Amino acid sequence: MPAILASRVSNPAGKKSLFQRIKKDLSRNYILYLLIVPGFLNLLFFKIGPVGAMVIAFQDYSAALGILGSHWVGVDNFVRIFHDPYMITLVENTIILAILSIVIIFPIPIIFSLFLNEVRAKWVRGTAQSLSLLPYFISAAVMVSIAYTILSPGGGIVNNLINNFGGQSVNFMAKPEWFRPIYVILDIWQNTGYSAIIYIAAIMNIDPALYEAAEVDGATRWGKMMNITLPGISTSIVVMLIISVGNIFTVNLDRILLMYNPSVYSTADVIQSYVYRIAFQSKGFPDYSYGTAVNIIKSVIAFILVVSVNKLASKYADSKLF
Amino acid sequence: MNHKKISVFDIVNNTVLLIISLFCVYPFLYVLFLALSDGTYLAKGEVTFLPKGLNLEAFRYIITNPRLNVFTGLSNSFIYTFLGTAAAVITTYITAYVLSRSRFKHRFWIMSLFVITWVFEAGIIPQYIVYNAFGMVDNPAVMIIPGAISSQFLIITKTFLDGIPKELEEAAFVDGANDWVIMTRVYMPLCTTLFATIGAFYAISIWNQYLLPQIYLKNEQLQTIQQVLKSVVITDSTSGTTFQNVIQNGITLNQQNLKSAAVFTAMLPLVCLYPFVQKYFKKGILLGSVKG
Repeated sequence: MPAILASRVSNPAGKKSLFQRIKKDLSRNYILYLLIVPGFLNLLFFKIGPVGAMVIAFQDYSAALGILGSHWVGVDNFVRIFHDPYMITLVENTIILAILSIVIIFPIPIIFSLFLNEVRAKWVRGTAQSLSLLPYFISAAVMVSIAYTILSPGGGIVNNLINNFGGQSVNFMAKPEWFRPIYVILDIWQNTGYSAIIYIAAIMNIDPALYEAAEVDGATRWGKMMNITLPGISTSIVVMLIISVGNIFTVNLDRILLMYNPSVYSTADVIQSYVYRIAFQSKGFPDYSYGTAVNIIKSVIAFILVVSVNKLASKYADSKLF
Repeated sequence: MNHKKISVFDIVNNTVLLIISLFCVYPFLYVLFLALSDGTYLAKGEVTFLPKGLNLEAFRYIITNPRLNVFTGLSNSFIYTFLGTAAAVITTYITAYVLSRSRFKHRFWIMSLFVITWVFEAGIIPQYIVYNAFGMVDNPAVMIIPGAISSQFLIITKTFLDGIPKELEEAAFVDGANDWVIMTRVYMPLCTTLFATIGAFYAISIWNQYLLPQIYLKNEQLQTIQQVLKSVVITDSTSGTTFQNVIQNGITLNQQNLKSAAVFTAMLPLVCLYPFVQKYFKKGILLGSVKG
């Protein structure tokens, strides 16, 4: 009889020494210990390691000296952040993008899925869902490249139209006032189909008896949509809203790094792109410690946001994230 | 749903939704039309809804011209995606198998660490310092090894394995099987759909990676197609130096032809794959959204 079953029948726990218990565990489960090795090393080196390296925010880190050899400077880097005049622009840009996401982008998949739910022809429903989901899987580099192609002042379709109506070509990607609209439109294009899947799944969970009862009472389709479907997915809506408020400081960094150039920094530069530039595009010596400190402040604020918004939401809805 | 007659609302609603769907894919078609058209028509702004002067010269030019690196980028991306997906599915499955065994005493704290490091990301600079210490700079392994376990897919896989009845494992033990046999022979056949789902997601995320290779793979011979796209299409749009008009086999190719061909080439593998793996995507999105 294998050892594993024997142990389940009788296990005189606590009678054996620690050493004996470890030995027994190892002899019985040594294959599990071998199998966990690659996963554990990945966790240790590539996931926990970087968290540990965050201590450089409290150092004057120099690559030549390493983490162990660099000087400790306490909270100097954090103090510097509050004296950095450029921070205001960065925070402003980040928050404006987030507010635009919540006010403009957030309701669109809800409306989309409400109307998609009213479609009875299966092929229309299938086509709309498949085609709207496709952009979600396309890379930021392709999406931004397409934006450049369509908006190109040298013969892109948008400028062709403007020219046909007698206007002057606009170099959209070099104009600070166009950065936010383009960012938002790309976001809607990329994510509407994805978010709609979540709402449609929630709609599918609504009890059909509610609709039947409403039909008996003579409810119209519009009435059913507003009084049954919409309240039926309110929990999902609140949860998704919490996620997006919590993600206020999480921008699509790939998209911004691909879209922006020095001429649109005034509206396009956000905290993460600034950190990226400090570390990987600086002309002189990269200031790793300062960049890390900026990122820590951002992460801490984001974390507080998620937790407090979640508390707020649980007051109003029966939905909790954690 | 008793009355099946088609109302005005149905017609309007269906039409609007189909138009919206068309808007979602039109930009992709537009770059395809540009790539397939003759440059002389492009210059006159005559290409909008169909290609004009149909030809494949733009694709031939960008793939065969070594200076543009498109071919190198494509083959690199294919290799990274293939190896990375294989490594990720195998590692994620093995790790999830161990972490879903109740006999394995350390499963709780290890799982917690996976979740904590997922929620609390260190940021790109500390990551760079550590990865650099492991020799990941200008090393293709950076596309394969660090991402071999995504905490999100680990949770999904573990939840799935937790749902397999314990009796199966116990019966196999009675028959003398060990963990390796159970993992590879008993559980694996039950996981084919799961593998397809997480495999599709891993593959797409590796193919689409931009920031990671941009930070670590500076050597042009190692770059991915996404990086090539950045330098060929985007950087060029702001500086405008790479392309002059080319006349190849009697067809004029201007920079719009060539850039569009590069963009479409970079998304083609995904578009080809999409119809087949779409159902797994939907499954994966819903599985992922359960955990937030």
